[in-house]
Amino acid sequence: MQIPLSFWDISLWLAVTSITLLITAELISPYYGQTNLHINKKKLKNAALTTGILFLITVAIRIYGIITAP
Amino acid sequence: MPTKTNNKKPKEFKVNIRFSTRTVAYTILILGLISLATSAFYASSILAFIGLGLTFWGALLLYITPTRYVKLDLLNAIAPSTLANIEKMLTSSKLNEKGIYLPPKYLRDFESSLVFIPLKANQPLPRPEEIDEEKLYSKNPEGIFLTPPGLALSRLFEKELGTSFTKTDLNYIQNILPKLLIEEMEIAENTEIKTESDTIIIEITNHIFNEICQETRKLTKTHETIGCPLCSAIACALAKATGKPVTIEKEELSEDGKTTKIQYRILED
Repeated sequence: MQIPLSFWDISLWLAVTSITLLITAELISPYYGQTNLHINKKKLKNAALTTGILFLITVAIRIYGIITAP
Repeated sequence: MPTKTNNKKPKEFKVNIRFSTRTVAYTILILGLISLATSAFYASSILAFIGLGLTFWGALLLYITPTRYVKLDLLNAIAPSTLANIEKMLTSSKLNEKGIYLPPKYLRDFESSLVFIPLKANQPLPRPEEIDEEKLYSKNPEGIFLTPPGLALSRLFEKELGTSFTKTDLNYIQNILPKLLIEEMEIAENTEIKTESDTIIIEITNHIFNEICQETRKLTKTHETIGCPLCSAIACALAKATGKPVTIEKEELSEDGKTTKIQYRILED
């Protein structure tokens, strides 16, 4: 019994999620006058950045794999 | 013939928004975990993706739920009574001069703020040893000491920034205030600061204290002397950051009623 997701599946999922979250975080930013949404925007922004960074880490791992491959 | 009265209270249908949000979040999270477990059992990548997504969004929903929100009407209902008391005090004391926000060096508690309202114009400021935060009246020079209506708000600013304004300067305030009011505290939609020698002009657009500030305008003396809670909070911050006494020279609302323009003056000791 094991999770049927490969490293690249998770990388793709992270890419989609981080793009969705980053766009959402930007669109609901108080700078655009969205001051009446009842969510903690700072935490949403942090979550978006974290998933974005995680995705970039997977990209870095992939690049490293390509470079070091014989 | 007497009629039967129904003493039973009607059922109340209260929906606790926070509770319902959390319930939804937990449901999504549990469904996601079940889906992940099932995907491992049946080796289904589609179920795994669904499970991963549901688990993530459930956890995210729990994480981004705000601590607590109250209606703006509630805030607007509380503030005017306190300001009306200040108005009463100023009217009975026959004080007409501008309030002077004292810098920390005049106070025993450096983190506190005090506004001094002199009886006559061009009076010297009271000496630090004569100032007592507990005291209301000052005899030499004549006037009164009041706790600024924006003191608590300025402390909230400091808490949000994680620093005391006493450790900062005017440049810091100039840089951080727009970010603080717009992004951090979501008080306003836009904030602009201009500095001209000893004058600081701050324009705040669509801020949540608009109604309170309009109520303050009806209290003529309070408006002229101390200003509304938001103006007062910024004055406290400026007095602490510059280390000099500050007065609110002018506070006006734009024609469209959206932008508040506040003019502060930094006085020399």
